[in-house]
Amino acid sequence: MKKMKWAGLVLAVTMGLAVLSGCGGSSKETLNIYSWADNFDADVLAAFEKEYNVKINYDVFANNEDLLAKIKAGGGGYDLIQPSDYMVATMIKQDLLSPLNKDNIPNFANIDEAFKNPSFDPDNKYSIVYTSGVTGIAYNKKYVKEEIDSWEDLWNPAYKGKVLLLDDNREVIGMALKKAGKSNSSTDEAEITAAVEDLKTLLPNVLAFDTDNIKQKMIQEEGWIGTVWSGDASFIAKDNPDVAYIVPKEGGTIWSDNYAIPKGAKNQELAEKFINFMLEPENSAKNYESIGYSDPNTKAHEFHSEEYNNDKMINLSPEELSRTEWLGDVGDKLQIYDRFWTELKSGRE
Amino acid sequence: MKSKSHPLLGIHSLLVMIFIYVPIAIIIVYSFNSSRLAADWSGFTFEWYTSLFSNRHVMEALSNTLTVGVVSTLVSTLLGTMAALSMRKVSRRMKAGMGGLLYLPIIIPDIIMGLSLLVLFTQFHIPLGKLTIIIAHITFCISYVFVIITTRLSGMGGQLEEAAQDLGANGWQIFRHVTLPQIMPGIISGALIAFTMSLDDFMVSFFVSGPNSTTLPIYIYGQVKRGISPEINALCTILILVSITLIFLAQFVLNRGKGQKKQSVLPF
Amino acid sequence: MKKSSLGLMPVLLWLSLFLVVPMLIVIGISFMGRDELGNVVFDFNLDAYATFFDPLYLGIYWDTIVLSVLTTILCLLLSYPLAYYIANAGPKMQTWGLALITIPFWINFLIRTYAWVLLLRTQGVVNNLLIDLGFIQEPLQMLYTKGAVLLGMVYTFIPFMVLPIYVALEQMDKKLLEAASDLGATGWKAFWHITLPQTRSGIMTGAVLVYVSTTGMFVVTDILGGAKSAMISNIIQSQFLGARNWPFGSALSVIFVITSLILIGLFNKAMTARHLKVKGGR
Repeated sequence: MKKMKWAGLVLAVTMGLAVLSGCGGSSKETLNIYSWADNFDADVLAAFEKEYNVKINYDVFANNEDLLAKIKAGGGGYDLIQPSDYMVATMIKQDLLSPLNKDNIPNFANIDEAFKNPSFDPDNKYSIVYTSGVTGIAYNKKYVKEEIDSWEDLWNPAYKGKVLLLDDNREVIGMALKKAGKSNSSTDEAEITAAVEDLKTLLPNVLAFDTDNIKQKMIQEEGWIGTVWSGDASFIAKDNPDVAYIVPKEGGTIWSDNYAIPKGAKNQELAEKFINFMLEPENSAKNYESIGYSDPNTKAHEFHSEEYNNDKMINLSPEELSRTEWLGDVGDKLQIYDRFWTELKSGRE
Repeated sequence: MKSKSHPLLGIHSLLVMIFIYVPIAIIIVYSFNSSRLAADWSGFTFEWYTSLFSNRHVMEALSNTLTVGVVSTLVSTLLGTMAALSMRKVSRRMKAGMGGLLYLPIIIPDIIMGLSLLVLFTQFHIPLGKLTIIIAHITFCISYVFVIITTRLSGMGGQLEEAAQDLGANGWQIFRHVTLPQIMPGIISGALIAFTMSLDDFMVSFFVSGPNSTTLPIYIYGQVKRGISPEINALCTILILVSITLIFLAQFVLNRGKGQKKQSVLPF
Repeated sequence: MKKSSLGLMPVLLWLSLFLVVPMLIVIGISFMGRDELGNVVFDFNLDAYATFFDPLYLGIYWDTIVLSVLTTILCLLLSYPLAYYIANAGPKMQTWGLALITIPFWINFLIRTYAWVLLLRTQGVVNNLLIDLGFIQEPLQMLYTKGAVLLGMVYTFIPFMVLPIYVALEQMDKKLLEAASDLGATGWKAFWHITLPQTRSGIMTGAVLVYVSTTGMFVVTDILGGAKSAMISNIIQSQFLGARNWPFGSALSVIFVITSLILIGLFNKAMTARHLKVKGGR
């Protein structure tokens, strides 16, 4: 009977697959980390596990909003999380973070002064910077012959259908605000409206809104020019040397990912030891060398390779950094940003 | 049974199959590409296959995904089949109500299901982990099994069952020898969809997962920011090949069994 | 409750606990207010529902419905003949047919969708092939268009259409068809008057599954559409995450679920009515 056969087949397949996958478990003390994927060098994590005789559980989220929704609903049981700058501010306001005990993190002294006491967390009470970068313009010299130095250049009709924008309302509207010489975190409705009207004239040039795959789109030359994070630009330039990067004269947005400990974490002390371990100069160098992001650890400089230290897209100049601004919390005006963003992306009003 | 299908039908089917498999072929080809960013073809390598097996995160995620998939498919297939069969015997009003309820999990946006279950679990202090993911998956998988089996039942008259009853068969016998064989294709198709849905679910799993219960979709979505590692392509290639081989083997074994005695292959 | 409906009890219990209770929470939130931080506060109002009637959101819902209906029709046209072919093949081929249709979808959805990016981008496989064959000089911009979104949707949901139609076709009484052809009915006539009506439950299930899943999908528009169009589920998603407006997100969901249920009910009725007419005419 053929009908019987299918039952057997499906059973066989599912059971076979289940057997393929093993099982594991241990009773050691566990550090539960919740972060972006591939955000640490696996060897450095293993070294920490060995030195402290603990197990690291490393789970991943895909964006700050997912992280917030989950932590807010009480989900997790995580000891260490890595929110971005504005999300640290939000989490502090919502009382979701636990103050750090700096006594357990003496290596905090190694952090570059420029990244200490950021506006979103004065005194570093709740967070310590992990990595940071800037939103600027990446462009492909093969197609873009003009000199690029301003956000205005994205509006050039020669790039019709070839401009890439980050898929993020604050980044893109913030960019248009910067272009108009305003703060990227404006709460003035007239200013925001003007910026959005300006962006509507940019739409014919836009190939796609994308945050995650903008690298592939630049490498494959689908897009010629776009708003790109400095760290991503370094990735792109390694695969496609025609791609150049600048921080526009009007200035760009600076961002950071940070260490923080959620309220109610079971292993706060272990998490702090982990942060300290990661800030050891040699560990630090090894880690950032492997993940390819900027290292805020001044003491690690000498342990980095020449190639890393010379990468202008990873190590931005103080002059470039001086032209940048953090994305501040806009409070309830976020609703206005969101509605305008929906208008922009749906092409409706 | 001899197929009297029109040749055009065969061509159409072949084209749809090609449509389904072209992206799969691309995935397989790129699992041997030495470029990390899945950009251009930059040379042949086995690197991703070797590094895949030493990647603890992927292996754990795979194990979690399959455990969740198998358990939630089995439970939801059982519950969905029971529900579909019982629906035949209830009043019209009850039918409409239950029908609507059973369609709900398919209609509800994933994020609503994920967040609301997360709130529920934390309120009742149920620790987040594989168990909560399984519960969530069963909840939406039941619906898929239910609608497919209902499809089957709606085209099925009750005559055979009545005849069996007239011949003195008891309830269990009727179920085992008459009803079950008739709805088996529905059960299989329903279970296949349920398993597929479970394997692919990201949103719901994301919210109801806890430490140490990362599933493959959660892992893969997390990797998007850095560029999904070609190790995942390698993993997908292996999964496809293993699945097809298992089906081939199962069919081989079943065919041998058939040669000896037709019904001895499976207990029912 | 009658003994015969005992089989419903476990499902009823399960769904009450893990579906109805959470749904009630969502309905509750949809009538509440929110503070500046995005926390839900108790303040009964209908603002969230009023916001939906903003032409912006109504328009997006309309776009979503149009795309979902198109996807459903295309899936049906592609799937019916395939399901028919499988259902009429030998038992061995049936097993292989079902397996070969389902297994590709055990590969992660994101990976499958990115494979389409590799195929369709300007320096992708399809463009390179067309250029090498001399059909085109300049690469076509296929990605980040509405067509690419439609293709991605159809691709993603084909099995949802094939499986139910197969399930319905497989049990069809083939003697009816033989009788029809004995009586001189041509292939088309027999198909139109016998096969199609007999498999309407399969079509109905498949259509509902594809339609509902398409309306709920948002990643395809992001990856293949370049995030240049919004689906209602993108909006729901962003209300819960980026915009932190849970009451509006909840209200959208409630409206979405209710309209979907109504559409399914209407569709069900239409299919049944059609069936009766055919039956009457016979």
